[in-house]
Amino acid sequence: MIDRLRRILRVARWEVARAGGGVDRRTLLAALALLLVAGGVLGGGLAVGAVGLDVDRDVYRVAVDGGSPYADAIEEAPALTPRPVNGAELGDTADLVVLDGRSQSGAVETVVVRASDTRKGEAAAAEFREAVEAHNERLMAAEENATAAFPVTVSLRYVSRTSALDEGSTLGEGDGGGGDGSGDSDGSGGSDGSAGGGSDGDTEGGTGATGSDFPGDDTTADGDGFAVPSVGGGTFGADTVGSPGSISPPFPFVSLLLAFVFLVPMNFLIQAYGSSVLDERTNRRGEPLLVTPLSPVDIVAGKTLPYVAAALLVTTLIAVAVGGGALSVIAVLPVALTFLAATFVGAMFARSFKELTFVTVGVSVLLTTYAFVPAVFTNVTPVALVSPLTLVVFDLQGEAVSVGEALFSTGPMALGAALLFGLGLGVYREEDMFTQKPVGRKLLDALAVRLSAIEDVDLSGLVDRRRLRALGSVAFLTACTIPFVFVAELLAVATLFALPVTVSIPVLLVTIAFIEEVAKSVHLYAGFERGVFARTDRVAVAVGLASAIGFFLAEKATAVVQAVGLTDLYVGRAAFGSVAGVEGLSPVVIAALLFAPLLLHGFATTVAAVGASRNRTAYALTLALATLLHAAYNFGVVSLHG
Amino acid sequence: MIEVEGLRKTYGDFAAVVDSTFSVEEGEVFGIVGPNGAGKTTTLKVLAGLVEPTEGDVEVAGFPSDDPEMRRRLGFLPEESPLYEEMTPLSYLQFFADLYDVPSDVAEERIAAALDRLELDHRERRLGDMSKGMKRKVAIARSLVNDPDVLVYDEPASGLDPVTTNSVLEFTRELRAAGKTVVFSAHNLYHVESVCDRVVVMNEGRIVARGSVDGIRERHGETTYHVFTDVSPARTDALAELLDDHDAATEEVGDRFRTVVPDMDAVEAVRAAAADAGGEVVDIRTREPSLEDVFLDIVGRPMPGRYTGGGGGELDDVAVDGDGEEKRRAEPPEGAE
Repeated sequence: MIDRLRRILRVARWEVARAGGGVDRRTLLAALALLLVAGGVLGGGLAVGAVGLDVDRDVYRVAVDGGSPYADAIEEAPALTPRPVNGAELGDTADLVVLDGRSQSGAVETVVVRASDTRKGEAAAAEFREAVEAHNERLMAAEENATAAFPVTVSLRYVSRTSALDEGSTLGEGDGGGGDGSGDSDGSGGSDGSAGGGSDGDTEGGTGATGSDFPGDDTTADGDGFAVPSVGGGTFGADTVGSPGSISPPFPFVSLLLAFVFLVPMNFLIQAYGSSVLDERTNRRGEPLLVTPLSPVDIVAGKTLPYVAAALLVTTLIAVAVGGGALSVIAVLPVALTFLAATFVGAMFARSFKELTFVTVGVSVLLTTYAFVPAVFTNVTPVALVSPLTLVVFDLQGEAVSVGEALFSTGPMALGAALLFGLGLGVYREEDMFTQKPVGRKLLDALAVRLSAIEDVDLSGLVDRRRLRALGSVAFLTACTIPFVFVAELLAVATLFALPVTVSIPVLLVTIAFIEEVAKSVHLYAGFERGVFARTDRVAVAVGLASAIGFFLAEKATAVVQAVGLTDLYVGRAAFGSVAGVEGLSPVVIAALLFAPLLLHGFATTVAAVGASRNRTAYALTLALATLLHAAYNFGVVSLHG
Repeated sequence: MIEVEGLRKTYGDFAAVVDSTFSVEEGEVFGIVGPNGAGKTTTLKVLAGLVEPTEGDVEVAGFPSDDPEMRRRLGFLPEESPLYEEMTPLSYLQFFADLYDVPSDVAEERIAAALDRLELDHRERRLGDMSKGMKRKVAIARSLVNDPDVLVYDEPASGLDPVTTNSVLEFTRELRAAGKTVVFSAHNLYHVESVCDRVVVMNEGRIVARGSVDGIRERHGETTYHVFTDVSPARTDALAELLDDHDAATEEVGDRFRTVVPDMDAVEAVRAAAADAGGEVVDIRTREPSLEDVFLDIVGRPMPGRYTGGGGGELDDVAVDGDGEEKRRAEPPEGAE
């Protein structure tokens, strides 16, 4: 073991030397300059967000009399610079002129605002309007009689999800008790639909947006029923009070921006790493390494180690710089590993550096989306925990995270990274490494490598150890797809949860059916295509059932989603319905619900496997059929669960 | 030292090697020859543990070919050996020595000895800046850093200039003298003839002939007689009949006429015919069959891209049944190193 570790470290050391030697001084300087520019841009952005620097200060010149009722509004607006009216010339010394028409008593009777006939003048007018509106808002907020100032107010209080669930409601399902005019919730903040009452913000029992008349949906203040769900408490959100127009979901801008900084270096790392891996494959350069006593695992581990170390170092430095802690580093590490693993697979499949560029850009976009978009909703919904970056946001906000939440956020990505490395390692051998095949065929090769040959199946095969082992390899490979299925389904949930339920649920159910059917059958297709499996119906049925069993067993692992309450969301239940919401059902029904998926998987996968045993067209058709069957089943389950 | 029994390697429906069985003795230089696609490289890669056999048993230095311990005792030189161009010969070779757990002082000594012998002076120059011949020498040196018992060389002199080629062939002989076992493949039969003790001829994945070079030549080749006269044999009816009977050929060479015949009886017949026509035999030469002749006899087609110089160059369109000596004097093609 120590010898092996030593050899891995040797490869790692050599990789560092090679990477250093492969970059000339000019390229290094250019990269540093780019980094500095990127850092400057990010720093500027952070400064704007965090410190509140006004980059648009004193942009527009407004000529206004000091006694004008608009003088204060203009004075308070950073972008507007007040100038004396006397001597002001529109378009020359002023972009906007505010002229007061006064009566003989000196009272202002009319106000005329003129903007220069330029685009800047138009922008100055728009800015002026916003400044006046903001000024008025501030005046009303300072008004003692709040009811007079805000005839309609909304008071949001983010309460603990647990306490909400104790009352038997799911996230966002309650009507909040307010807004229906009954005033049954003392926490409605006086949102009784009429003027009056108070907005004391001391609400209780409201699980969602008060003032909403939309039960049953993940509703928010605007009452359209389909925007972000108002869940929270604990780590999620803070209280908000204001007029309906002024309330928006809590958006952790600064923390999010800082969290994003963690992702930036990954893009540089994967470029270097992908090039290094592909370089081994170019002109068979890595062939001599395969003849050494090192195994492919040793070689890949050694080549990857410096990049993991670099990611860890940079992440730690960033964490220190932005005020994050160990949680940030722990959260970002699986992201870095997934970036590297996906790049490794891409570099093993790509035929050229041109293809590799597409791969790395694809990896970057996909993983950045996966990590960043859910984190936007950190203070809003548990869907955010899909992304490890949410943990970083929590960490930067100084909020605690449970072990379960941390595992939920990081586990799928970490496991996915390990499996991606395994997939790429399957073709890290002379026979596959140096061949020039399209990416799709390489993927089939990588999958087929992990399967054992099945020449035929009959009843005697039930006790044939070799055959059982081969079927076991099918089930195991299917089980290995679960993290990817999980990640893909979470991404689908995160993408679709903000859409209207009437749209999101059907789309989600079909999407999930497709993802799962592909996961269960694509390696079967690879097995038939690569001649690992004999093309007979009996073999197809056998591998289809084996795959279904593997998926069924591994699918139960997704029960982890309940640990963080994702199934409390409507779309969460739709996606992970088979493992949630069984409380209160009879044992028979629970047993039926438990094994019904096995029947579904067995049937649907067998259908797809029979198609896969024929040819590509037949596989595509049977896959579509299996997806439809699966989607129909999903609709049934969702209907049953409500 | 090497035992191969019933080796079969398939890629999908394509059989690269079929039922191949041979053994190599310790200290022997063993050649594998054959045309493109014959299965030579696949066989060598199986020996090196790079490719897993579909069927059959392969043992090298007493270990199965997939045993990491076998790799410690083996040096492999692939047909193409692009190196890590950003490294220098010394750093590159030291890295590989490191992977074989060779102590650094021993590695330094071995690397220096190998590079000295291969006459490679620019040891701190970037590999990317080196010529093909210099890179090949580094690759050969790499195959020796672990002081292997068995060396598997795939086309070691392919594309090298005559001087470097001769150097590589001489170096191979020295390896044999040092007790190393060398398995050697080549398109160029001259290389094989000059260094190999025994050979197997492969065609379409199968071994179609085996044994010592002389033995194979005896079995598959025939000595021919080149009779030079100062009169055209075609002028006489007797000689025309003789040519038909012996499937012989005649051609004009300068101011003489050369008739190639298979035996001494035919030589006498040519002499008589020439005398009848008022001429005489001015020269008689015997020619032993080359391995290329033998190869043509066995495989039924010429070697592709055959090497035709005394140490470099390739001629693609030269017929196999010509004069071997003349072809070895051919100039290497432009651009060859």
